[in-house]
Amino acid sequence: MAKYEVLLLAVPEITKSEGSNIESSFSQVISKIKGRVISWERWGKYLLAYPIEGNDYGVYYLTRFDIPESEAPKLANELKSLLAVKYNDIVMRYLTSRLENETSLEYKKPAPLDETPKGVDEFLKENKMEGLISKDKGEELTNG
Amino acid sequence: MVKKAKLKLSSRLLKKKAKRSSFGGKKHCRFKSNPELTHDIDYKNADFLKSFITERGKILPARISGNSVHYQRLLAKEIKKARTMALLPYTSSGY
Repeated sequence: MAKYEVLLLAVPEITKSEGSNIESSFSQVISKIKGRVISWERWGKYLLAYPIEGNDYGVYYLTRFDIPESEAPKLANELKSLLAVKYNDIVMRYLTSRLENETSLEYKKPAPLDETPKGVDEFLKENKMEGLISKDKGEELTNG
Repeated sequence: MVKKAKLKLSSRLLKKKAKRSSFGGKKHCRFKSNPELTHDIDYKNADFLKSFITERGKILPARISGNSVHYQRLLAKEIKKARTMALLPYTSSGY
């Protein structure tokens, strides 16, 4: 058995259902070539080092899997037909690399962006400007 | 009798040697002395690889970082992988 990993870069607008769609069809492809998916991980949203296809942001997914050595030549083609053709609109880039058997599966990754957008109130609270916004809001309400 | 030719150091090399010693001795590869650090050479670990590229995004030469040839090659490979995945820049804009 040989271990591989694939790092996917998807468009920032990717939805949860699209992500799970890719995951399920990916595991189907791997099981088709008698392999087994070890892990599927969503890294989160990142600011890209340079814009790709007009997108400044992207969502990374990392997956690892085992396949028998005899099936290895088929892998590149299968991944291409899945990620570069079928999910061409969603997947911007992907990189396949082989893992040595002795290496541990631990790794380090850069920190993702904070995905939950903060409200204006929270921002002001953090920066000690609580007095500012609540007054304005009150005035707006009374005026309206 | 066969005369042995004496190896002469050129003045340029001598100057280089003097320069090296004035900067605090031999170059030093951080990976050779610390084998655990070699696990960090990975295209996914972009924060670590950032310390081996210049402000402009170029790969720092081993002459400056002091890496041995083996680890410099590994690093260069991983930096290039990270660039294709947009984890590291090819070049920096904004100059």
